[in-house]
Amino acid sequence: MTMDWVMLVTIVVLVSAALSGARFPRMWLGLTLAGTATWLTAALWTLGSGTEWDWRSEFALGGERLHLRLDAISAWFLSLVAVVGGAGAVYSREYWSDRERPDSAGRGRVWWTTLLLCMGLVLICSNGLHFLVAWEAFALSAFFLITLERERRETRAAGWLYLAASHAGTLGLFALFSLLAARTGSWDLGPMRDHPELAPLFWVALFGFGVKAGMFPLHIWLPSAHANAPSHVSAIMSGVAIKMGVYGLIRFSGWLPLPAGAGWAVLALGAASAVLGAAFTLAQNDLKRLLAYCSVENIGVILIGLGVGLLGTANGDAVWGRVAMAGALLHIWNHGLFKSLLFFGAGSVLHATNTREMSRMGGLWRAMPWTAGLFAFGSAAVSALPPFNGFVSEWLVYLGLFDAAADRAPGAVVIVLATIALGVTGALALAAFVKASAVVFLGAPRTQAAAHAHESGWWMRGPMLGLAAACAVIALVPVVIWPFNQAPLGAWNSAWSGGKPPAPLATLGAVQVALAILIVLAAVGLWLRARANGTRRALTWDCGYAAPTARMQYTGGSFAAMPVTWFAWVLRPQRRLRWPRGPFPSRADYLERIPETVLERVIGPGSNAVMAASAWVRQRQQGHLPDYILYLVAGLVAMGLLVFFGSMQ
Amino acid sequence: MSSILEILARLAVWLLLAPLLPGIINKVKAWVAGRRGPPVLQLYYDLARLWQKGVVLSTLVSPGFIAGPAVAWVAVLAAATLLPLGPLGASLSFRGDVILLIYLLGLARFCTAWAAMETGSAFEGMGAAREVSYAVLAEAAVITAVLTLSMQSGSLLLSSMLVPSAGTGAVLLAFGLFTVLLAENCRVPFDDPNTHLELTMIHEAMVLDHSGPPLAAVLHGASMKLLLFSVLLVQAVVPVGKLSGLTAAGALVAGVLVVTVAVGFVESLLARYAFRRVPLLLTTAFLLCVFALLVAWKGGVA
Repeated sequence: MTMDWVMLVTIVVLVSAALSGARFPRMWLGLTLAGTATWLTAALWTLGSGTEWDWRSEFALGGERLHLRLDAISAWFLSLVAVVGGAGAVYSREYWSDRERPDSAGRGRVWWTTLLLCMGLVLICSNGLHFLVAWEAFALSAFFLITLERERRETRAAGWLYLAASHAGTLGLFALFSLLAARTGSWDLGPMRDHPELAPLFWVALFGFGVKAGMFPLHIWLPSAHANAPSHVSAIMSGVAIKMGVYGLIRFSGWLPLPAGAGWAVLALGAASAVLGAAFTLAQNDLKRLLAYCSVENIGVILIGLGVGLLGTANGDAVWGRVAMAGALLHIWNHGLFKSLLFFGAGSVLHATNTREMSRMGGLWRAMPWTAGLFAFGSAAVSALPPFNGFVSEWLVYLGLFDAAADRAPGAVVIVLATIALGVTGALALAAFVKASAVVFLGAPRTQAAAHAHESGWWMRGPMLGLAAACAVIALVPVVIWPFNQAPLGAWNSAWSGGKPPAPLATLGAVQVALAILIVLAAVGLWLRARANGTRRALTWDCGYAAPTARMQYTGGSFAAMPVTWFAWVLRPQRRLRWPRGPFPSRADYLERIPETVLERVIGPGSNAVMAASAWVRQRQQGHLPDYILYLVAGLVAMGLLVFFGSMQ
Repeated sequence: MSSILEILARLAVWLLLAPLLPGIINKVKAWVAGRRGPPVLQLYYDLARLWQKGVVLSTLVSPGFIAGPAVAWVAVLAAATLLPLGPLGASLSFRGDVILLIYLLGLARFCTAWAAMETGSAFEGMGAAREVSYAVLAEAAVITAVLTLSMQSGSLLLSSMLVPSAGTGAVLLAFGLFTVLLAENCRVPFDDPNTHLELTMIHEAMVLDHSGPPLAAVLHGASMKLLLFSVLLVQAVVPVGKLSGLTAAGALVAGVLVVTVAVGFVESLLARYAFRRVPLLLTTAFLLCVFALLVAWKGGVA
């Protein structure tokens, strides 16, 4: 009963926040924060107490009665929506302020809250029809947020690509829900394990939600949309919005009867997304595109966990499935937190230098030490290094994979391959984030803009610090998070509810704390020792070269050159090199571009072929009456022949 | 109380014995080349001297330049404490500790590469880029080796993974891991630890700008990493855990010595590989580990 009121009030608060957004920024911020805080409390309460909120309306909306449900799975995602939604609202106050963006700031606030509201509704709607409406509204509000800066051509192109891809996915969902409604006789959603004939619908769900989740090769919209959106929008898109696709996958893999190959397919897709996503990440030279591809990689990690979880379910609810699934769920939170942190950091850099090209940055740590430190924190977390939070969730996924392999579960080949893929992914991600943080923040500034950068204010730093603190909590005391993590696991597969953690999480937490303390002690100790011995500043030695310049530094392109050639079969780098010629070379240049292979090599040519075919058909359409009579006669004859030969058989 | 003392004793062993290994390697190399060579304890003298020296910092570097070597050193030391020593077991052992060990080495790599990129020097950028790139292939081999061990022991605990002998796949695993050892520790044929210019290619190129105590941390960390890999290799191949007391200690020490001398011989008899062939060699190491994995897999069924 209390929950009814809490949810109603939150929705009213958020709606009024959206309405006030255009004119009253302070009121908007207050209301949005109040709404997200209530949501967070409600979600954590649901996760902690294990009670499920279920509410049906007396009235009908669009011919169906409203059915809202907040169970542990929804709550797990809702808490992420609330945290990143609140942090982004604070961040946007300075980042996308009325002063700097007079024409789009108000619009941005309205759509921001609308997006939060729609994502919340997607998570709690338990009626297929209303789910679809909420899903569509969510996709649209995200479109308007991506195209906030619509005067730029690339932004509009990215927005359209997102909209097209998103609707392709929605088409799959339309098919899914209408088929479900037709087969079960009701739009109401719930467990459907007793309808084995519905199993093939899992593949439809995998496509529909896979597009939104950005899993390889359905990720085509993701890099440009995340790169061109304002950074707080990139953060929520990357940290939370693509998780709605994962939510759909987890939700429906828990409800639908599973076809035989479901686990294998998700595992293989996850492994492909992880490795290829990491390879693309490493190859990027645009800071935000790099972070966007990294989301593909992390979705891959989550899908690996989900795949092992599905396999575990299919193999008599094996414990290894449970561990991997717990890791996947935890990684959803982790990735949401550190990816938002990284995008906020990238936003600060963009704000300070007005460019996303990493080769135009360098040495930013001096001007923006807070951002540099927080970005380094996020980089280490996303590379899954101990003692950060990314390691905890990847460690759980690894545990599941190793145990499944040692168990010699049927078809362990795929599990072994996925394990190796996860290891390679980790090393590639590490390389990518050494590259990103080093090229942007370390060394000497490569351009004037980078030399005159400035630190962002507290409105932007505050949310980053908050997200980093949340990461630190998960990293250092994972035991506290564990009960919350178990609730959605039990809701997904009731055989896995309750009981002691099947992994020594307490020990890992203690080790992480010890490691964190030792690291700080060692760094301080070494610094004190160096200071006691005396330090002297001098030019970088550079093997004796007397006049090094900023342009002689290793760039992102040169840093990643070797792995890019290993992955050239999929990255397809486009290079143009003009050598210096003659004794007095006038000009020489080198250009490297990493295309979005799936989009430019597969989807692009494919749609061009469709366009060519359509153009050809259009030529047959000239408005000449005799032509149409001919088409009509030809059609009739063809039909007649069909009927004639059909009746012969 | 006794457990704390035990941990301290182990730490002391790791910290004190590690710098011996590069000395032995150099002695072997000198012996093969017919020279007298530097004393076996040379690294100890170097470390003691560096610890007393002042530090020259590049004008470009942030505080991360000094924090990097410190964190890397802690990471390697922490990884070493996870490693069991024969029948003694590890000072800290829990399910999944092996993954922590691999990722601690990743942390060390991240910090070393970070510190290298601080200086803005092209040489150090080159070294860092190569280090993190080769690590991608080495990581695949290491994960496969760990999978092999966990499949044949049915455990994810380092101390019980390393107990049974690797069986038929031992030879494959030994060669695979030995190659990874050479790559991860930047020895010939992947890297040449003797030169100090860009010819060095990887590790030494990354630490060109370090001096004084931070350089001491880098050198000591590198020697600990070498010892760690040697101990891991020996225990993965020889069932040291099944032996008792002195025999085990003897076997472990002898094994580490064999590995060290082998590194010295490889370094004396081989030239550094051409740059393009390095990935090929690492892929070979990976394939060796894959075959070891296949052997372990089938061995378990039969």
